[in-house]
Amino acid sequence: MKNFKLTVFLLLVFLSNAFAQQTVEVTGIVTDENNEPLIGVNITVSDVPGLGTITDINGAYKIKVKEYSKLIFSYVGFEPVEVLVKEDQHVINVTMKESVTQLIDEVVVTATGAQKKLTVTGAVTSVNVNELKTAAPSSSIVNTLAGRVPGIMAMQTSGQPGKNFSEFWIRGISTFGANTSAYVLVDGFERDLNEINIEDIESFSVLKDASATAIYGSKGANGVILVTTKHGKPGKINIDAKIETSYNTRTFTPEFVDGITYANLINEARITRNNEPIYHPEELEILRLGLDPDLYPNVNWMEKLLKDGAMSYRANLNMSGGSATARYFVSGSYIEEQGMYHTDETLRNDYNTNANYKRYNYRLNTDINVTATTLLKLGVSGSLSKRNSPGLGDAWVWDALFGYTPVRTPILYSNGYVPAIGSGNQTNPWVTATQTGFNENWENNIQTNVTLEQDFRFILPGLRFVGNFGYDTNNSSDILRRKWPEQWRAERARSADGEIIFTKISDPQEMFQESGSGGNRREFLDLMFSYNLTVEDDHHIGADVKYTQDAFINTVNIGNDIKNGVAKRNQSLAGRATYNWKYRYFVDFNFGYTGSENFAKGHRFGFFPAYSFAWNVAEEKIIKNNVPWINMFKIRFSQGQVGNDNLGSERFPYLYTISRGGSGYEWAEYGNSKFYEGMYFSQVASPYVTWEVATKSDLGTDISLFHDSFQLTVDYFDEKREGIYMARNFLPLIVGLESTPRANVGAVRSRGFDGHFSYNYRIGEVNLTARGNMTYSKNEVLEKDEEHNVYPYQMEKGYRIGQTKGLIALGLFKDYDDIRNSPVQQFGTYQPGDIKYKDVNGDGVINDGDRVAIGSTRTPNLIYGVGLSAQYKGFDLNILFQGAGKSNFFIYGKTVYAFSEGEWGNVLKGLVDENRWISADISGDPSTENPNASYPRLSYGGNANNYRESTYWLRNGRYLRLKNVDLGYTLPKKFVNQLRLNNVRVFMVGNNLLTWAPFKLWDPEMADSRGESYPPTKSITLGLTVNL
Amino acid sequence: MRKIYFTLLTILGAGMISSCTDYLESDQYFKDRMTLDKVFTSEQYTEEWLAHTFSFLRDYNQDVASKHYTPHCFADDMYYGDRDETLDIKERGQLSYSRFRLGGYNENEKQGGWGDSYKGIRNASIFIQNIDQNEIFSATKRADYKAQARFVRAYYYWLLLRKYGPIPIVPEEGIDYTKDYDEIATPRSSYEECAEYISNEMLLAAKDLPLHRDEQAVARPTRGAALAARAKVLLYAASPLANGNNDEFAQELVDDEGRRLLSSEYDEKKWAKAAAAARDVIELGVYDLYTANFRTTGDASYPPTIVPPYNNEFSDQNWPNGWANIDPFESYRAVFNGTLRASENPELIFTRGQNQGGESVQAMVAHQLPRIAAGWNTHGMTQKQCDAYYMNDGTDAPGKDKEIGRGDGSERISGYVTKEDVEAGRYKPLAEGVSLQYANREPRFYASVAYNGSVWHLLNEDEEKNRHKQVFYYRGSGDGYTNTMFWLRSGIGIMKFVHPRDTYLRGEMSRIVPKEEPAIRYADILLIYAEALNELDGTYEIPSWDGSQTYTISRNINEMRRGIRPVRIRGGVPDYPNEVYSNKDEFRKKLKRERQIELMGEGQRYYDLRRWKDAPVEESLPIYGCNPLMNADQRDLFHTPVPVWTFPTTFSKKMWFWPIQHSELKRNQRLTQNPGWTYYD
Repeated sequence: MKNFKLTVFLLLVFLSNAFAQQTVEVTGIVTDENNEPLIGVNITVSDVPGLGTITDINGAYKIKVKEYSKLIFSYVGFEPVEVLVKEDQHVINVTMKESVTQLIDEVVVTATGAQKKLTVTGAVTSVNVNELKTAAPSSSIVNTLAGRVPGIMAMQTSGQPGKNFSEFWIRGISTFGANTSAYVLVDGFERDLNEINIEDIESFSVLKDASATAIYGSKGANGVILVTTKHGKPGKINIDAKIETSYNTRTFTPEFVDGITYANLINEARITRNNEPIYHPEELEILRLGLDPDLYPNVNWMEKLLKDGAMSYRANLNMSGGSATARYFVSGSYIEEQGMYHTDETLRNDYNTNANYKRYNYRLNTDINVTATTLLKLGVSGSLSKRNSPGLGDAWVWDALFGYTPVRTPILYSNGYVPAIGSGNQTNPWVTATQTGFNENWENNIQTNVTLEQDFRFILPGLRFVGNFGYDTNNSSDILRRKWPEQWRAERARSADGEIIFTKISDPQEMFQESGSGGNRREFLDLMFSYNLTVEDDHHIGADVKYTQDAFINTVNIGNDIKNGVAKRNQSLAGRATYNWKYRYFVDFNFGYTGSENFAKGHRFGFFPAYSFAWNVAEEKIIKNNVPWINMFKIRFSQGQVGNDNLGSERFPYLYTISRGGSGYEWAEYGNSKFYEGMYFSQVASPYVTWEVATKSDLGTDISLFHDSFQLTVDYFDEKREGIYMARNFLPLIVGLESTPRANVGAVRSRGFDGHFSYNYRIGEVNLTARGNMTYSKNEVLEKDEEHNVYPYQMEKGYRIGQTKGLIALGLFKDYDDIRNSPVQQFGTYQPGDIKYKDVNGDGVINDGDRVAIGSTRTPNLIYGVGLSAQYKGFDLNILFQGAGKSNFFIYGKTVYAFSEGEWGNVLKGLVDENRWISADISGDPSTENPNASYPRLSYGGNANNYRESTYWLRNGRYLRLKNVDLGYTLPKKFVNQLRLNNVRVFMVGNNLLTWAPFKLWDPEMADSRGESYPPTKSITLGLTVNL
Repeated sequence: MRKIYFTLLTILGAGMISSCTDYLESDQYFKDRMTLDKVFTSEQYTEEWLAHTFSFLRDYNQDVASKHYTPHCFADDMYYGDRDETLDIKERGQLSYSRFRLGGYNENEKQGGWGDSYKGIRNASIFIQNIDQNEIFSATKRADYKAQARFVRAYYYWLLLRKYGPIPIVPEEGIDYTKDYDEIATPRSSYEECAEYISNEMLLAAKDLPLHRDEQAVARPTRGAALAARAKVLLYAASPLANGNNDEFAQELVDDEGRRLLSSEYDEKKWAKAAAAARDVIELGVYDLYTANFRTTGDASYPPTIVPPYNNEFSDQNWPNGWANIDPFESYRAVFNGTLRASENPELIFTRGQNQGGESVQAMVAHQLPRIAAGWNTHGMTQKQCDAYYMNDGTDAPGKDKEIGRGDGSERISGYVTKEDVEAGRYKPLAEGVSLQYANREPRFYASVAYNGSVWHLLNEDEEKNRHKQVFYYRGSGDGYTNTMFWLRSGIGIMKFVHPRDTYLRGEMSRIVPKEEPAIRYADILLIYAEALNELDGTYEIPSWDGSQTYTISRNINEMRRGIRPVRIRGGVPDYPNEVYSNKDEFRKKLKRERQIELMGEGQRYYDLRRWKDAPVEESLPIYGCNPLMNADQRDLFHTPVPVWTFPTTFSKKMWFWPIQHSELKRNQRLTQNPGWTYYD
């Protein structure tokens, strides 16, 4: 075959030489409509690969061609121009028109390749990559999706460098099975979205319904994201450079009360429960006056540990270009995010204990036209990242910060001893952050892919072949270098001679090391034949057949179970047939026939069909002629099935495991031994386990009006997920199993809508665009493996996945009469000022049987964004507000439940110190016994009655934030051209500048119950992009 | 050229598809894993599977054990004083004896036996269905092993039936766990069906089980074990609780379709079947009651035989017709205290051997031993049980059951053993200072009761001075009342199971002689035979277990005597006069009392009271005991029985059967709860 192709190629070359015509030299100048010369216009010769040139700084070009060849002038943003070189014509000046992209020509990347938006019948959102790019100086593109891309729900729960990646779901969560994540394909290969350099992205599409994803049969159930990276274009070298510098602060920093307030509150907590106070009045006085900082310190650990802000830097450089026969795109980028911990200056030169993140990305995409009809693409990309954290780890830093109260110990005792309360997380925060060594987490990924595209028009016009092969390896290693100083705790009293009495908490530990590693490998092969045919200009027929196989295997730490050494594999045959008549009526049929190695023979393959149709009303003559301002009005409907074979970490549920070492039996009498250990099914087989199937319907419309200045897309979706794989935890004991079988038993229905609009308007020279989008999704568990319950409200069936459930609080008990006249609460003792709950089932007692669904879920069910952009001459401004709603979470933990862990745990400002219930005996004021107070009677050492999941501690996670403000200025062309540059833009971006939310203790987007983690950041960025 | 291309593409495509057809195949990685076929074609693995199948007989499924998993060994005869959260906060959530006796437990306590039994049942079924492929075993061995699995499967059902009442019988091949929960849901079978099923399975097992096991295999069931278990099941099925029970409780105990689970029709033939089943065991000729030889010399811990008062029928005849050549005290004691190894014990029909877990008979003894032997001093005996023992001439003890309104008008004997009495050899084996209420009692009394002032031999104590200790339970005596859990509420302890060597020095279990668990004993079978015959009015022809003969079963006094008389002679007490045998009611009373005495502490009383339907009365009678608040100076008051204030008693309908746990009811929608208990949390 190879030889055959080579022969064909040589033959072509030979023929072209044999019939050589006379060569002429053509020159000319290319200008735009304003007569400005265009620099870098590509000029190629039709049907002669490899021949071409570009215009110089004056817009001039020179090229030798044969007579009667066709010159093609192309330039980004302009309509291409074709000119036939006639005899004697040696000067060809061309004026190029700026292209007015019509919606009708807009291209969307779908499962089978780029497709005109007009012809799309499924729910596909094509994301404006430029918008994402300018959005946020973030290390991960995922963080920019929420509020910008309809159909995507996301939440960012941490701001820690290297861990600040959002979680996201397409159209919300629609299964309680193992896998809720979307299937992400980068250039056709399953890869991690967080690791892509944003600047490398050419297109970004979100495939949401069954018809768009059926072809991915195995993995499309949760939606698909398709990303293509940039490829070079023929012509002069194009260089883009971008640098950004950001200053990051925190959106919210939890605040704690100071030492004196804390000491008074802890006394109150003790006294109000009839215990002796911890601080005597004279001790409070010593504390207030700061007389004895060794025993009565008052430290603001937050201030000591956290800087106000930290810097981050990003730089990116890419080059592309090439000829008609070979093109390239090369990019490199560097990201550095600095952490907000203070570090020990004396250690600065040795190592860094701060929470830092650095990443290098590179990418090389090469396209080679092997023959006129054969295109070979080669892509190599990779990243190398390093994350730093303090020796005991980030979790402990925050744990210590939240736990270590201002009055426990000073930072250092006056005699130089290092203080601590206990070991582990009870180490003092300053030691935890700076004196315990450092951890490094390295990750490196290398991704290689080869694509061969063959046009078979010489056999059958319209027939194409695309083959992809990819091979990725990912490796990570963790090196933990730990140490700690000798640590002491002082008793809160001095000895008779006034000396501090110290107890040693830990001996010093010199630095030691632990390490771990991880790694995996992925192989991918995908072959596709496509066929397109247009009959009599009216009938447009298309067909695709695609074969895919992929394998994924963890290569490190796979344990001793043979199952884990087998690659996860999928194999599928998929197809699509499309037909449209005059771009007016569209019908698509798709199928995926997909196999997974996880299932037993006979249950291995699933068949997932889907169909869709659309009607472009605007193309009807009656509309076209009478209502010309309707540019597009398309109604789409799709329905179909998609599968999911991801069982989480479990493999091969159809296999059973027989183990030795179960309980055995001794047959002999005392004094003898005839013992056998037990052999049994340590895991029974689940032979019928197979695909989880999603049946999705989508009804959508795309509208474009007034010369495309107003555009609207709205989709309503309804999905039923069935056969959700889960453990059968509720088999009755009479079955007699010693392990839990698995089965496809769950079902979930989710419904919702997503949509977006945009509106362009021009006032004078100001170009305005308003945009908005919204995604709402609500799911309901239809069937779940759970045991019968007499109270239906106690079951998960009928509620959302992850529904928050708890008791209904009726406020606080007024007095003992109130307690006597209310149902008995069975959680623990309670007094006036403690939380009173509702007896939901009316059985006269309050217990866990009274827990009901309250609120919604932790993850938001509503995400929306509203944006405005304006352009005036060189200036551009983008503003985006983003919000989320229908989210609830409980708050708890040592800072929320004040003094629940005794003297471990700070007191949150704004929660406890303000409107709490105080006994009149303490406050001397009966009005402080307020049954509607926002915090119950204090308690010390936990309170089983108050500290339960209930409406009292349920918080609304709704928020609206000014996510993004981007102000840019593009320097005038005249000026930059003199610097031999093409385009220069300076910009300033503000991120997460303002947040409005009812919840104020920490960032609401974290939806975190304890708040004990690195908060998301607020940042200001200055940047510069240059195009040469 | 197009043709060439098409051909090439076709070849390429076909080649690709054929090479990819086994892309998803993984079996090559798994073929060397353990399979069920490998298990049952290997001797070692087959043994291990069977061992695991039997392993569920431990803990919650033990017949004779301390209370943690099975409080059912304690009823109105024995009590335990520890595990009481009202006395020690560390015991929170434990089931104390008083909570147990008040029915204060809930549906989710002590429930391990349900799941364990069904696990054993499933493993046994897998064994039964696969063992035939084992060609390493001889045909006989294969049959034996299959029968062992069948035995234990039926035995698990028996344990369930006894405790929970009628239970679901699962299909022979096991429940198909891939089905829907609704399809898996299985209702309870009736008591009759359960007993029938177990009985038939035991018969099948008996066919292939051998008669004897050597010392390497004592815990394996024998033919006798299968037949004996069957006799017990049939006796329970014939008893008033399950046979013709129309009480309100029985009317409430129904399956999901409202079908009664306890037979409302009385069927006398059930008694005949039970009698025939017991006779099957007797006719095997393998078992006999154990007897120790008459002893003329001895020491403190093994004293010379205390000869019962002269009886012209038994004193001059040798065993089995009389007690002339045996030592009744040692004969009874040695059966339980570890003196006899399982293989030497002629009356041991089924035992778990060493498989007793943490709540072994040894552990029971640790709780019986006094503080002076570092014992827990917390398992004791009720006055009722103490009074049940006969005098050594077969008469009742004076003052018996006087306090609970069952006295015959006599008073308890006053006075104490004096030094002179001891020296004169009176009141053997009592030591000085012991109340004469404990004098001249039958030998089984002395082998079973640790009365106030009894002597503990403690031969495993390191120091001579710590042996042969007389222990009083007077307040202030060290083993009397304290403010802990560890004192005997009735002032009466338990000597059964205690070996003269046993002590718990430094908490070392090794100082307590290991004791084979007496799950089923020949004495039990003999008493079953007598009991079942007594209930008959008609005559029944019942084939023997193997069909080799037909028994004519009727209320034949000689046959009844065949059952009960050996038990009494071995215990050194005379047989009943003929008036007793001729009076059905009188004999029933005697028989019940005989079971109470002979089988004390063997996990029988709790269930016997229920199957006889005696529990409402017997279990709610107040518990009496010596007055533990009295000190040595107030010994008369100490020995004047008073109610034990820490053990209030009651009986309600929910106490007939153990509750079924909530989770099981939620998961098996066809399962019905026992009356008096709830379905949901």
